[in-house]
Amino acid sequence: MMKFFRINIFFLCLFFLFSIFYFLDSNVNADTTSLTITVIQPSVPSSCGDHSCNGSESCSSCPTDCGACPSSGGGGGGGGGGGYVAPVTSAVFSGRAYPKSTITFLKDAQIAATTIADANANFQVSVSGISGGNYIFSVYSENNKGIRSALLTFPISVASGATTKVGGIFIAPTIAVDKSEVKRGDNIAIFGQSAPDSAITISVSSEEEFFRKVQADQNGAYLYNFDTALLDIGQHFAKSKAAYVTEVSSFSKAIGFMVGTKNIIAELPKVIEKSDLNNDKRVNLIDFSIAAYWYKRPSLSASADLNGDGKVDLIDFSIMAFYWTG
Amino acid sequence: MRQSLYKILFAFFLGFMLPQMVFAALMSLDAKTTQVQIGEKFEVNLFINTAQENINAFEGRIIFTKDILNLKDIRDGNTIVNFWVEEPKNQEGTIIFSGITPGGFNGKNGLIFSAIFEAKEVGIAKFEIKDARVLRNDGTGSAATLAVVPLDVVISEGASAEIPIITKVQDTEPPESFVPEVAKDETLFEGKWFVVFATQDKTSGLDHYELKENRQKFLTFFSRWRIAEGPYILQDQELRSYVFVKAVDKAGNERIMEINPQNPLGWYENYENWIIMILLGVVIAYVIRKFLWRR
Repeated sequence: MMKFFRINIFFLCLFFLFSIFYFLDSNVNADTTSLTITVIQPSVPSSCGDHSCNGSESCSSCPTDCGACPSSGGGGGGGGGGGYVAPVTSAVFSGRAYPKSTITFLKDAQIAATTIADANANFQVSVSGISGGNYIFSVYSENNKGIRSALLTFPISVASGATTKVGGIFIAPTIAVDKSEVKRGDNIAIFGQSAPDSAITISVSSEEEFFRKVQADQNGAYLYNFDTALLDIGQHFAKSKAAYVTEVSSFSKAIGFMVGTKNIIAELPKVIEKSDLNNDKRVNLIDFSIAAYWYKRPSLSASADLNGDGKVDLIDFSIMAFYWTG
Repeated sequence: MRQSLYKILFAFFLGFMLPQMVFAALMSLDAKTTQVQIGEKFEVNLFINTAQENINAFEGRIIFTKDILNLKDIRDGNTIVNFWVEEPKNQEGTIIFSGITPGGFNGKNGLIFSAIFEAKEVGIAKFEIKDARVLRNDGTGSAATLAVVPLDVVISEGASAEIPIITKVQDTEPPESFVPEVAKDETLFEGKWFVVFATQDKTSGLDHYELKENRQKFLTFFSRWRIAEGPYILQDQELRSYVFVKAVDKAGNERIMEINPQNPLGWYENYENWIIMILLGVVIAYVIRKFLWRR
């Protein structure tokens, strides 16, 4: 009996460890992007705090020694006093997208800034007019063919009166396929855009996951002809991620294709696939408001029921949140 | 033999379920203290730890012992939820909430909202999370495995603690800037034009919105603000009015955003232009009379 109990414990531990590794492995690919966050406070003179207003100290840089600044500038006929300039709270974002692509920044899911990446795919954008607190910033990019990246989201705690710099943003590549259905054994072209000369890893899902590597060209374009002889008949998905020196992007959106008995040419992925309820080519607060109106109502707008289950519930809002553009 | 089989099955069950529990998203209730006195106010925070999953939708109910507690306030200033489908509100001892974070949230200690309670009677105040659900940011809204952590707070008789449990919020900043948008949809309000708006206040939290519309921009100053909720059906369906939306936070700070009319009035239709012209005419007439008439 005791022996059997020991065996049981052994199996339990073995299984526990196996399961932990299994779940860890399944989570490894979730998001590999690493951001660098630095907070730059307004400079404080080294002598600040010695109870003497001297050197480069002023009411704004060292109120402890020099006293508080007047709340407003100017004076009656004397021609203007100093005027206290409150420290500005801002956030500066920099990273990599695709050459000359349009980058859209969202602050708490609403558009805060847009910019264009340079020829090397680098971008920098500043968001001001914010206050100290927790924000959800997100960013996406649209390449020269109008294909949009997945939304990359990062929660940031912004310090009041300081500049928060967020670097190392690497937007996931765009991805498309040349066939919506491919005859088993023929090649399917998997292509898209990322940063110039970045190393692209393409993942094709099947019972076994296949990984292929390809180098992006000077314009960031990449193309891989995948031999579908390796795949079973049925639905498959491809996704890609990019690496440049030490930076690695997260995986792109997954794009689906069928392996079957004939070849059918695919269209380029639609800019907005779902959730654009008022057909303005954006998924934003207007669409959310329309869906929110129909939430849990007995009568139903078919357009707001995104998963077609006959009701507008949290699942429909989750689908909308996935396709969000701001 | 049968007993052994049960043991093996039990071992396999534990082996499978325990790791799933370890890697499940966790929705938890937390408070700075779990011991309070009658009359004291304390804050209960609802957090989400996504355990490496990217989660974009959250919902659930918080049930609390309403007989011995007063719910004083709900704060969502620093929430990770960008839009509430159902804003957290007290419904007789239950706070129902559901909301989304476009693009998803992947992290630890993501604040969903905070609730301020006042202890009114001796006892154990229980806070439970019911019907909670979190959905993955995967385009299909698949549900993630979720574990919940309840909270108990012991209320005892005695003098209130000298150190306040709730930090006082000093808020001098207006709500975040926002862009109200005018839209219409055939399925909504019989196809009438409406305006949508949403913002946040990071310090004290948002209190309410007010709105006014007027075809004369400067005369709008004299018209009254109305309490509004989005989507708001515009009175001027010809879209000839200026629309002003005011967001007010719980400390009374305000931010006003303006929408210009899509079909502005012609110059001759605008009273303001006529008023300016008449005033100008009066001034010119006065000048002529005062200075030129003498010559």
